[in-house]
Amino acid sequence: MSYGSHCGRGVTVDAQIIGHVQPPTIARGHSSLMTTSDCARGARRTRHIGRVLPVGAGTLAAILIASAPLRAQTAAPGSRAGEQPSLMKALADQDLHDIEDERWNAYTQFTYISNWKGAFPAAYTNANGSINSLIPDSERSFTGTATLYFGIRLWKGGEAYLVPEVIAERPLSQLRGLGGSIQNFELQKGGTATPQAYRSRAIVKQTFGLGGKREKEESAPMQLGTHYDGRRIVVVAGNFSILDFFDKNAFDIDPRQGFFSLAFLTHAAYDFASDARGYSWGGVAEVYWDDWAVRFGRITPPKDPNQLPVDFRLFRYYGDQVEVEHKHQLFNQDGSVRVLAFRNHEDIGRFSDAVGALQADPQQNAANCNTFNYGSNNASAPDLCWVREPNVKVGVGVFAEQYVAPDVGVFIRGMVADGHTEVDAYTSTDRSVSIGALAKGSLWSRPRDVAGVGFTGGWISPAHVEYLRLGGIDGFIGDGNIHPGAESTVDVFYSVNVGKSFWFSADYQHVTNPGFNTDRGPVNIVGARVHVEY
Amino acid sequence: MLSTESGSVDSVLVTTKRRRFFTVPFVLLVSMAWSARTQAQQPPHGFAVERFYPSPPGGGWFVMDDLDMQGGLGGAVAVASGYAHNPLVVTPSDGTQRFSLVSDEVFVDFGLAVTYHRYRVSLNFPMPLLVIGTSGMFGPYQLTAPAVTVPTHPDVISDARLGFDVRLLGEPASAFRLGVGAQLLIPFGDRDDYVTDGRYRGMFRGLVAGDIGRFSYAGQLGVHVRPVDDGPVPGGPQGNELLFGGSAGRRISMGSRTLVIGPEFFGETAMRSTVGEATGFEGLLTVRFEDIGEQHLRVKLGAGGGFVPHFGAPDFRIVVGLELVGRRSEP
Repeated sequence: MSYGSHCGRGVTVDAQIIGHVQPPTIARGHSSLMTTSDCARGARRTRHIGRVLPVGAGTLAAILIASAPLRAQTAAPGSRAGEQPSLMKALADQDLHDIEDERWNAYTQFTYISNWKGAFPAAYTNANGSINSLIPDSERSFTGTATLYFGIRLWKGGEAYLVPEVIAERPLSQLRGLGGSIQNFELQKGGTATPQAYRSRAIVKQTFGLGGKREKEESAPMQLGTHYDGRRIVVVAGNFSILDFFDKNAFDIDPRQGFFSLAFLTHAAYDFASDARGYSWGGVAEVYWDDWAVRFGRITPPKDPNQLPVDFRLFRYYGDQVEVEHKHQLFNQDGSVRVLAFRNHEDIGRFSDAVGALQADPQQNAANCNTFNYGSNNASAPDLCWVREPNVKVGVGVFAEQYVAPDVGVFIRGMVADGHTEVDAYTSTDRSVSIGALAKGSLWSRPRDVAGVGFTGGWISPAHVEYLRLGGIDGFIGDGNIHPGAESTVDVFYSVNVGKSFWFSADYQHVTNPGFNTDRGPVNIVGARVHVEY
Repeated sequence: MLSTESGSVDSVLVTTKRRRFFTVPFVLLVSMAWSARTQAQQPPHGFAVERFYPSPPGGGWFVMDDLDMQGGLGGAVAVASGYAHNPLVVTPSDGTQRFSLVSDEVFVDFGLAVTYHRYRVSLNFPMPLLVIGTSGMFGPYQLTAPAVTVPTHPDVISDARLGFDVRLLGEPASAFRLGVGAQLLIPFGDRDDYVTDGRYRGMFRGLVAGDIGRFSYAGQLGVHVRPVDDGPVPGGPQGNELLFGGSAGRRISMGSRTLVIGPEFFGETAMRSTVGEATGFEGLLTVRFEDIGEQHLRVKLGAGGGFVPHFGAPDFRIVVGLELVGRRSEP
């Protein structure tokens, strides 16, 4: 669904489209995404297969061996352009692989992102024993990820995918102090500078054709090259990122070639259930009917908010989401609109309950927690540890994207969550909006370059503000006090394609009111990225 | 003054030297004692208990390798899964306090191989789904059992294996084939989960295989370079190991399909120890169904257990495997 589907339907049908994209994954904001393949094809073929084998093996070996001592990180796949070298293309060029009707495929990517945050003004930091402030000193952050993508056809309509990944990272301020404006979408909760390997995805996917126009799916990470009916039912089960299927990136631009900020990965207020890395277990069912698509997913939440262990009691604790998507053409340019709603039933705390518990009994403060908590030492602050119980969190959002010219598109997305309960998996944001423009470099004769500019804003609810004002913290924010304001980010980037498989990117982000607190900031962050895919 | 001072200084120095003469050994002894005490109190680290290393995708057998690489650029993918019961049982020399530090283990091993002519490069990712056991005391050590389940470790990967194999002598389907192989084991996972040594490891193996009429065989002899030699767990890793194994099967032709039935044995022994406590040996009775010509498919089933108990050789083991072998072109 990810890649392929777009190529065959509207949005990414030809080489004139911006790209393709893929789904990301998140993690406390961090996520990984997936990329897609470039539908443009055409390409010069590699003639000497003898070179390919050592190169492919060497790449795999280098990634694995290097990953251990390096700082690598996790992320998702990148796009695959027609001229872009890959093992699958090399095999196909030698007539050893049917890339349009694949039984299996394998791809890989490596991404290194470095950010530097300048010192910024702050009226206070970690006041009264709170611990979640963004440190006002200058800091450096990095992520490095190496990923392998394997896909195999099991039977008619059946596909399976496995994605092992290695990540190393060093977040800013231990990933504290920012709401949705995490400067690097690859960051994960609980990550370390020592590389960690894990399985990011293991899924089985079954497609039931219902007729309609045949659509071609290009070979890409997590997508076997094949053809699907324009009308079909798709059922997926296993371990995945919900963003592989819901609220995919604007214009299918691979996040590893696009915006650096997490705020553009999906709705910042979309607190989808997932483990600390941003992945979930569960199932997704989709119905495609020409230009329409409807999907529903139920996935596992973390056992404790923002932690890695997962609660598999899917009938008791779960995250449900439903999305309706329509693809259209406006003035002969492709576009799409999506409406997404989620409802989580999880073991989480309500802000008002935490405040009420403290007022009723001052001993029920943050410093006295004896169940899962984030380690605040503020003895006068409320804490969610006292009030966690089965609670419901809901939200609804809209996304629209529209090409305004070949390879140039604009997008907007916004979501409102109820704001009554704490962040369980994604970001602390309760309401979010983002708007931006993305362009491929065909206008200036560099069709594989990508440029973008975007703005995102996030807010928190009055109950959330009151909880923070009293010194409470959640999974990511809490300065010990607050004068509330919108946390916003302006993100500008340019990705230069070099040698078909390599991208070098530069990025600048201006973050206002970090942690939704007008007493702090603004923050300036610059970044650089190296991305390789094969 | 000066001499007095000097003498005084000398006296102090002598005194200091005398003190040092006694103090240094005392400090050393205390340090050593403290160190020993500290060591005794340190919780032991785990190690990679699993000794079932599936053959590279396309290798035919479960552990042995049929050295059947051929043709132009090709490849295979494989998934193996299995259950092992009591792969690590702690039994002190007096026979008391016996307990299963690792009592149940379920894993999935996914592999991908690329072949060209007589060469093969492979990559395997083992993924533990269940590693649990019973904690207990062994002498001064508190041995804590692993507690790996899918909910607590939803995405764990253990030591990945990057391998290279080459057939030196013989042709595919010939009576005698000789090859060598090397594997690099890249440490992933947590030692406390008993899924990794936390160190790089290497395997270098000599391989033989052949097909004589309806009879197939394969064998291996090699070295497992294993730096870990500090496991306080009885029967734990003791450094580098000698690997050995063999298999034999009867081929039953079913048109374009083939059924192969036969036993497979494999084991290892620590190179610096005598055979016995440092040796593990297990066997599997295997059945595999092959339809390489049309479906490019191989399905495998095996069951068996440890003949010589040692870590990794379980009371019994059940394994299944699925291989998809790519088309082969002329070289």
